[in-house]
Amino acid sequence: MRRAVSFLFLLASFANGVKAEALLPTDVKTLLERIREKRAAAPSMQADFQEQRKIHLLDEPINSSGKIWFQAPNKFRVERKGNAPSITVSDGQQLWIYYPNFKSAERYSLAKRSPVDAAISAITTALNLENVEHTFHISGEKSEKGYDLELTPRNPSMKRIFQKLLLHLSNDLFAERTDMLQANGDRIVTTYENADHAPIPPGQFEFTPPPGTEVSTPLGKQ
Amino acid sequence: MPFSEKVAFFVTERRGLMWSVVVLIVVASLAILIAFLRLDTEVLNLLPRGFDSVEGLKTYNSEFAQTRELTFALLCQSEDVDKLEEFAPRFVERLRAQPWCVRVLAGSPMETPDGVRDLQRIALPLLLNLEPEDFDRAISLLQPQKIQERLAQLRREIESGSPRPEIELTLDPLGLIMPSLKPFAGTAAMETDQPLTSLDSTMRVFPTVTNQPTISAFDCQNLMKQVNAFRATALEGWDGGKIEVLVTGRSAYVAEISLSMRHDIVVTVLSSIALVGAVFFIGFRRWLPLLGMGFSLLLCCLIGLAVGLLIFHRLNMITVGFCAILVGLGVDFAILIYGRYQQSRSEGGGHRVAIADAVHSLGRAVFFGALTTAVGFLALVLSNSSGFIQLGVLIAIGISAAGLLMTTVFFLFVPRGEVPQRSDWILNLVRNYVHSMLVRPRPILAVSLPILMGLLIVAVVPQIPLTFEANARSLEPKNSRAGTALSLIMEKMPVRWEPVLGIVRATTEQELHDFWKAISQHWSDLQRAGKIKSYSTPKALALSPREMQRNRQQLASINFPAARDSLQNALTQNRFSADAFASAFELLNQLQAASAAEFKVPSWRTQLPPTSAWWFLVERYFAQDSLTTTGFVTTNAPVATQEQKNVLARELPVAGIPITLSGWSYTLTDLVPWSHRQLLLISALMAVFDASLLAVLYRDLRLWLVQVITLALAVAAMIASMKLFHLPLNLLNVLAFRLVLAIGVDYGIYVLLVWQRSHEVARDLTGVIKPVALAGLTAIAGFGSLGWAHNPTLSGLGIACAIGLFWSLAATIFFTLPAAVAVRPKLPQEHFELEHA
Repeated sequence: MRRAVSFLFLLASFANGVKAEALLPTDVKTLLERIREKRAAAPSMQADFQEQRKIHLLDEPINSSGKIWFQAPNKFRVERKGNAPSITVSDGQQLWIYYPNFKSAERYSLAKRSPVDAAISAITTALNLENVEHTFHISGEKSEKGYDLELTPRNPSMKRIFQKLLLHLSNDLFAERTDMLQANGDRIVTTYENADHAPIPPGQFEFTPPPGTEVSTPLGKQ
Repeated sequence: MPFSEKVAFFVTERRGLMWSVVVLIVVASLAILIAFLRLDTEVLNLLPRGFDSVEGLKTYNSEFAQTRELTFALLCQSEDVDKLEEFAPRFVERLRAQPWCVRVLAGSPMETPDGVRDLQRIALPLLLNLEPEDFDRAISLLQPQKIQERLAQLRREIESGSPRPEIELTLDPLGLIMPSLKPFAGTAAMETDQPLTSLDSTMRVFPTVTNQPTISAFDCQNLMKQVNAFRATALEGWDGGKIEVLVTGRSAYVAEISLSMRHDIVVTVLSSIALVGAVFFIGFRRWLPLLGMGFSLLLCCLIGLAVGLLIFHRLNMITVGFCAILVGLGVDFAILIYGRYQQSRSEGGGHRVAIADAVHSLGRAVFFGALTTAVGFLALVLSNSSGFIQLGVLIAIGISAAGLLMTTVFFLFVPRGEVPQRSDWILNLVRNYVHSMLVRPRPILAVSLPILMGLLIVAVVPQIPLTFEANARSLEPKNSRAGTALSLIMEKMPVRWEPVLGIVRATTEQELHDFWKAISQHWSDLQRAGKIKSYSTPKALALSPREMQRNRQQLASINFPAARDSLQNALTQNRFSADAFASAFELLNQLQAASAAEFKVPSWRTQLPPTSAWWFLVERYFAQDSLTTTGFVTTNAPVATQEQKNVLARELPVAGIPITLSGWSYTLTDLVPWSHRQLLLISALMAVFDASLLAVLYRDLRLWLVQVITLALAVAAMIASMKLFHLPLNLLNVLAFRLVLAIGVDYGIYVLLVWQRSHEVARDLTGVIKPVALAGLTAIAGFGSLGWAHNPTLSGLGIACAIGLFWSLAATIFFTLPAAVAVRPKLPQEHFELEHA
């Protein structure tokens, strides 16, 4: 009997040890402060990524993979591989999407409540996290493998973009997985691997369409 | 019996009869006022008639939905931007719950599922309304192969990570809606054209349509009462710093203006009476004559309003200035007459004799004074502005009545046994001045002439400019909340300047469509040529029965079952969700139904729900009468000069299509020549009339020249003062010049007639200068009291007149008289002998 009790106690202790621990608001604040310090020390990141998109227009999810370069606060470059390759480049002001297979490119202007905000907010929110507490209600848990944060938009303009963003950070406070639930029910899950924080040349966030590329501005005059 | 003695007889011996007549006039006037009083609060009626731009503005103001639209704005501190964004939906929810609120635009309709759904609802009529070649190109997308290719392509683009296909497929799964909106393209970007959030995000704007039953001032006041009650509770739940709820719009303005009319009437009449009364009492130290003067003036106002109402049926807001002006003018006669009466009594004359003497001595001056003033105001008839025409006619009636009443009814209040005051410091002061002036006029001229000449130089030199305000704000009430709200909104969102309106009326739907088709093509050419910045028209929404019939016949060539099968197959092959494409199948069904000859295409008006945000766009273009429409042209720069306006007037119209160009900036620019004409031509005509009258009256070239020069110097001094004090002219206070001419000439008549005809120059000049000085001061006080009016038109007019009258009075006393004495010296004896000879 004593053995059984001891076993149950050990089991309970073990379970308690592996169970994620909810973060108090003060813990979240401290965590964000630490993240800010990390970003200040290492504002760049490049990594391989895998993405799964479930959109309401399609019956099945779309999987893609590639490489991402990010520079805080909002510059990034995404190169998708596979059957439908594309290069997405943003300097924080404009967003270019280049389709090598179609020899075409789309140009969008950002920061004008553009519909493409949804496409980039997962990247910039997850990889930057600067002042994120002003835009989101944040709750989180600490687990053995890092931190799981749930970000819920505070204001309507952000709510129009997504309902919820789940973010897993490694113990060294860099994003490893994001799960974004959009307002229309679409969902984008992205995982990051082989992260490197070496400085990135500025030219990486600039884009000039190759000669012969057909450039369009789908949302009208930019 | 001479007229003066008849008056004296009736006033002293037939008082009962006189009082009966007075009571009759009062009762008749009050009855007319009570039975017929209608106020016209339309500010646009102050603008002159005969201008297409003004008529266009009136049409836009009264027939389009913006008359019932209010713009709410929330303005917060920069640190509360996030809180404002969180609070805004709650505010909108409360706003929508108000019983007077029909719909609110809280964001671009394209951003909401309802907005997208509404657009899909009206797709069919818009698609059928396309030009034949555009329609044929659009429906070619319904070929089975094209359906397959398009969806396969979009699928590949989705895989590549483009957000565009998702946006396109959500709004337009068949690819037919975007082409149908193509003619609409320039106008659909409401958010770009009319932003609802300021760049710094501290302001959110919510255009709101109300259910105000009419656009009358009383309904505007009632609505704004409810709106202000809402404002008081609208911020419950706001937990940030200081936040303001701003409201502007036509109803807000009209409510304020009509309420300020009440304020203006009370304040200007009371202050005018108080100031005039104070000057009278200081001058004569008598209460009963003061009461008589007030009563007579009130009677003049009543007569003027009653007769004016019978003539015009509805009195404009500007006529509220009538009473104050009339008090300022009419009091002159009372002071002159009473001054002479008092002088006669002090010389031992009895009550009846003194009355006869006053009327006899000054009746002629009062008659000519009333005549010049009445004609001066009647000249406003040439202004073409209904408000000012009314003002002119009412004052002309009132001042004529004043001339009559001050020489008759006024004496009913003068007690028989009145004893003149023993010590009169004003009279002593005037006597000393007259004595000095008669003996040595040149030293006085040596002071007054350089001052007046200096001011003349200031008036004519272009280096010191006279500001001319030709903008709508110069007509707004002072401290207007609606005006402040509009300014703040414009300050926070200076996205574009006010467009030029092109108002087009048609008799049939087809004609309307053809008109806008031709205008759109023309404006498109102008835009390409860089002559205008952009434009938007209701062409897409102006349905063409002819095109629709033709396009429906084309639909008969479409194999709808095949298109439906192709769509289904493409969805399956590309793994699209059939549920997400339900609207595509629905549109196919509608198109197939529309291809049947007996099918009646529903009007897009009936397809849009009343609460749809798209109405905000639709109602920008369509009046309540759907055949009255407007297009908008954004010019390359704000319309500010005649040259710009003339170029637009030449370039924008299309031959054979009646179009009215308007808009506030355009109209006010259009009116600048009118205003200048008011200033120059009509004032010049007035001056010619005055000069002719003076020539007949004096029959003396030197006296005539003295008075004409006095008038010119007084007007120059008025202009110089306005320049030096930076008082701007606006479209309406330019009328002050002719009023000053009309009144200023009277002062000269009073003193020069005495100078010319008196037997005892020193005594008679003293007797007339005191009343003239008092009359001038009361007129200045009367006009100056208009400065308290909230209505800038009235206050600007009052201040300009007060300045002008000050210089007229000063020039009369310190230039006219000494100059007359200097150029035509005479001794009383000489005059006496001449008369007997």
